[in-house]
Amino acid sequence: MADSKEFIAGVDSNAKKSPRRIVFITRRTSAQVKVDTEDQVQTFPEVLFRAAVAIQVLAIALVWIALIFNAPLEGLADPSHTPNPAKAPWYFLGLQEMLHYFPPVVAGVLAPGLVVMALIVIPYFKVNIEADGLFLRDRQHRLSIFYAVASALSIFLVSFKVYAALVPTLIMVGLMLIAAQSSPQSSSAFRRYLAARPLSYWVMTWFLFELVVLTAIGTFFRGPGWAWIWPWQGF
Amino acid sequence: MKEKLTSLWQKLFGDSVRAFGVVSCLFLVSLAIAPAKNHFSEWRHYQHGYLKMIRNRSDAATLQRHFEGGIQQIWLPDLGVVDRCTSCHVGLKEASLNDVSQQPFRPHPVIPHKLGQFGCTVCHRGQGAATTVAEAHNSTLAWEQPILPAKYIESSCGECHRGTLAGTPQLNQGRSMLSRYGCVHCHTVKLPDGKIMKAADDPPSLSHIADKTTREWIYAWLKDPQAYAATATMPNFKLSDDDARDISAFLIANSTTVPEDTIALSAKAAADPTAGATLYGESFCASCHAVQNAAGNLVGGNVGPELTRVGNKVKPEWLQAWLRNPRIYNPETAMPHYRFNDAQVATLTGFLLAKTDSDLLNNVHLEAATPEQVEHGKRLVADYGCASCHEITGIKKPENFAPELSRIGSKPVTQLVFLRGMQHTLPDYIATKIKQPRSFGQNLKMPQYAFTVAQIDSLTTALLALNDRSFTLPPSLTVAAKAESDYQPAGKAGKLMTDLACFSCHRINGHGGDMAPDLTWEGSSVQRQWLMEFLKNPNTLRPALIRRMPKFNLTDSEANELTDYIMTVYQSPAVDRDSMPLSGYSQGQVELGKQLYYGKYACQGCHILDTKMDKGYVGPTLTRVGSRLTAAWVFQWMKNPQALRPGTLEPNRAMSDEDARALTAFLISQKVGSKSEVAKAKR
Amino acid sequence: MATVKTADRYFDDLRSTRVWRSVFRSGTGSSTLHRALAIQQNVFLHLFSTKVRTRMLSVSATWYLGTLTLGTFLILVATGIPLMLYYHPSAPQAYADTKDLQFVVSSGMFLRNLHRWSAHAMVFLVFAHMFKVFYRGAYRTPREFNWVIGVVLLLITLLLSYTGYLLPWDQLAYWAITVGSNIASAVPVMGNKIHFLLLGGNAVNANALLRFYVLHCMILPLTAIFFIAIHFWRIRKDGGLYSHASEPATLRAKATSSSTTATEGQ
Repeated sequence: MADSKEFIAGVDSNAKKSPRRIVFITRRTSAQVKVDTEDQVQTFPEVLFRAAVAIQVLAIALVWIALIFNAPLEGLADPSHTPNPAKAPWYFLGLQEMLHYFPPVVAGVLAPGLVVMALIVIPYFKVNIEADGLFLRDRQHRLSIFYAVASALSIFLVSFKVYAALVPTLIMVGLMLIAAQSSPQSSSAFRRYLAARPLSYWVMTWFLFELVVLTAIGTFFRGPGWAWIWPWQGF
Repeated sequence: MKEKLTSLWQKLFGDSVRAFGVVSCLFLVSLAIAPAKNHFSEWRHYQHGYLKMIRNRSDAATLQRHFEGGIQQIWLPDLGVVDRCTSCHVGLKEASLNDVSQQPFRPHPVIPHKLGQFGCTVCHRGQGAATTVAEAHNSTLAWEQPILPAKYIESSCGECHRGTLAGTPQLNQGRSMLSRYGCVHCHTVKLPDGKIMKAADDPPSLSHIADKTTREWIYAWLKDPQAYAATATMPNFKLSDDDARDISAFLIANSTTVPEDTIALSAKAAADPTAGATLYGESFCASCHAVQNAAGNLVGGNVGPELTRVGNKVKPEWLQAWLRNPRIYNPETAMPHYRFNDAQVATLTGFLLAKTDSDLLNNVHLEAATPEQVEHGKRLVADYGCASCHEITGIKKPENFAPELSRIGSKPVTQLVFLRGMQHTLPDYIATKIKQPRSFGQNLKMPQYAFTVAQIDSLTTALLALNDRSFTLPPSLTVAAKAESDYQPAGKAGKLMTDLACFSCHRINGHGGDMAPDLTWEGSSVQRQWLMEFLKNPNTLRPALIRRMPKFNLTDSEANELTDYIMTVYQSPAVDRDSMPLSGYSQGQVELGKQLYYGKYACQGCHILDTKMDKGYVGPTLTRVGSRLTAAWVFQWMKNPQALRPGTLEPNRAMSDEDARALTAFLISQKVGSKSEVAKAKR
Repeated sequence: MATVKTADRYFDDLRSTRVWRSVFRSGTGSSTLHRALAIQQNVFLHLFSTKVRTRMLSVSATWYLGTLTLGTFLILVATGIPLMLYYHPSAPQAYADTKDLQFVVSSGMFLRNLHRWSAHAMVFLVFAHMFKVFYRGAYRTPREFNWVIGVVLLLITLLLSYTGYLLPWDQLAYWAITVGSNIASAVPVMGNKIHFLLLGGNAVNANALLRFYVLHCMILPLTAIFFIAIHFWRIRKDGGLYSHASEPATLRAKATSSSTTATEGQ
């Protein structure tokens, strides 16, 4: 491959040990492959055993947790005694926290529905599929759209008094503003990094941020009557 | 060293296969800890301890034979009982271990039930299914009811036993206090048998209170009822001076007069101050009313109000009218209508009015009430729910004034608000709430009662018995309370009995008090002549007792009426009064009876027949029994006293007919001295 | 080292026995072919590719999140089956069974603890896996569909955890499910019907318990296994574990930025 052949055809002498890709070139195709063969390992035993070790390490950790901490169990289910607060499993507490602010149709149906839809369409989403930085092209136009969306979202959250969700949103907007002011030529590595982030990155990070914040609030900061409480106060 | 470590790391984790091997070992070791943890469980530890303990005892063989290893449980599906307490408490049934004081190996004290019959948690609470000490005994997230403190254990008896029970004095007291102290006026208590608990106190009507007392006394009373009478049932509402002033203003303004309620008598009190005391004693006022003596001790009964400072309270005109006939002011009163003459009324009034405490009303100076104060007083009366207990003109009795207590014994701890520093358990909450209701919030309405610690424990015990289990028990397991009877005698005699308040002391057909003998079968038991004499001039049958029936000064026609009614109506179907003669028994029979009396049955242990020799003070005196009782009654009594009067102390000696007949002959012959006694009474 | 070699030889001997040969078809020997066959000839392992890019072995590449998620799933199956032996899905009995697991079943508490904590771990790992895949960009063509299957698996995981949450039949379970299922009522038009269908009634009761039990122990695990199989199989079919540096686009960019073609391999 040191010579500038356009393609490789044939079988390596060590084929039995390390099979290689064979390219068949029909007349109409001009071979363009410039891929170097990457280092690969056999799944068996290398990968399989590593995976097994990883699973076992996790299992050991979980076994020790199970030995030390008992799973919660409360009194017999009693429809006539509602605990206060009645909390959903932790992974739904973000949702329950949203139910505190929005009508159930919005928080319980629309929001999670949209999230699932968005997750499904992410890979089919044409914008930024090339992973270009959001503000690197068409900057003015995109900035004005960004301002519009950011302010609309903020006003929406303020009007529902969802300050818990507003704070992460504003932090994300701030980061995006820094990104807008940065370019791949920026001096700081952090700015160069931000400048290269595509739209999908921003949307997903915002979602992750909100998810973590809302779930944490629902889990640790909500007491009787879904009132704000500090974790050390207990209830 | 470092190289060694590196080479060791290489050896163990050098490639993924080795790492897999090493981690697999670690994993298996970790997994093996779970069964090991299981093996060193608490109950195994205690069972080993038990076996070690009994090994050196003389009764080791028996104990070891009784011992069963492994998790033990008492399973009673009907009761929802799965009690594994016996896994650690292994020696519960071993009476021979009664010298062991170390828990969990102590044997259970003797109780009327078999241990396996109801399991453990039905009485002791706690989590029966648990097999660790902490989970079984304490309150956890998964099980709220901790072990019931031993001092409240009688509450568990009350889950099944709805009536009074000889072995549970604390529960009985608590239950009677619920009605005696008027708790149930404000708090509804539905009993598991569907009835609603009724109050047994008799809070006076306040509709005519101005006839009876002064505004100053009401003020002082409202501020601190116990300052007037230590035994007062009325609790302290901790009213401010202004509130007490306004309530007293309203009550006086709201009061209406009852005709004939106050009278000014012409007769003067006897000059001799001892005459009043003598009359007070002869009328046996102390059977019902208490008075504090010089030593500060209360002397007297608790049916009527304490009279220590009654002179501060009542108006003289009202007191005279009341003594003459209490039923005019209060037709429902438990006080009998003594037929006092004017002189007696005057003497007694003078005696009672002298009972004052100069300090009580000294500092009470009230201005004339303004309409605003009266209006404010009315609002306060409504706010504090005074009408829950007292009848007050124009104020309706509030409904559901205080929380219902029907299932207070199962109230979830999560629904309670505790004070700082108190234990988070239901019994503690209830006890504290009774002890200091206002400590849970200054705006709460529940007043402060003056209960002793024992009384609080009793009330807590009774309240803990009002729980879910007592409502959900299968009917076959419950022991119902004796039905309350509301028997009322009919006709003219019935009216007379009400007027004399016989039922304040006597019980007839399940209705009435328990201070004096049950009269349900009185007509079968006594001779007409004796009864007639007794009603006119009662004398005591039991020399050891201070209390006896007071003299009501009945007229002949009244006594006749009453005697006829009692002789006719209160007859036992088991005793035919006329089946045995009152005389004509052979001397031999009487002699045999005498021998049996002093010999075989040793009756003199409890009864007095010969006033010089006998020392028995348990039963009534029998010196004149031949003039008092009917022969048929005595015969049946000898045969089976409990059949005639359930619960009597008289033992059932399972006498043969011959013995019973001989004893009857002997007792009926005991008329000695009766003639002179009757003559004395007539004089 | 000698002992290890001996162990290897013992292992080789074992692998050449007739019984072993009848079970595993790859045969003895440690040549590349044999190793490839070990994967290909195994009904479970053939879902995976026979080779993996070396760079994907490093922990930082994937954090092994997908593997660990599979691990929790395996633990959950392994602990869930013994738990089923002690459990009746009927209203008060379920709670008593949970209590018995805690107090009288040998290591019952451990089983339940492990099941519970693994379930929480699985939900967490699935989320972590999703975000890691996203930030690696591993959802891009041609792996779009495998991403979608991943989203489906996320939902199944949530449902598995949610249905399992009710089974102890304690206050925690009852009210968590009540709160959660009430959200379903908010769906316009169909809300109450969905709520009814989910619970088998208008409130959480014995019917809901049975329904959740069947979903939790039967329907959802089978569905999960089905999709997990597709998920793994698609990794192979979509070109192995995604590595950004190995992508054609990246390589093209690299090729244009430097004048020479990549030749490190030789």
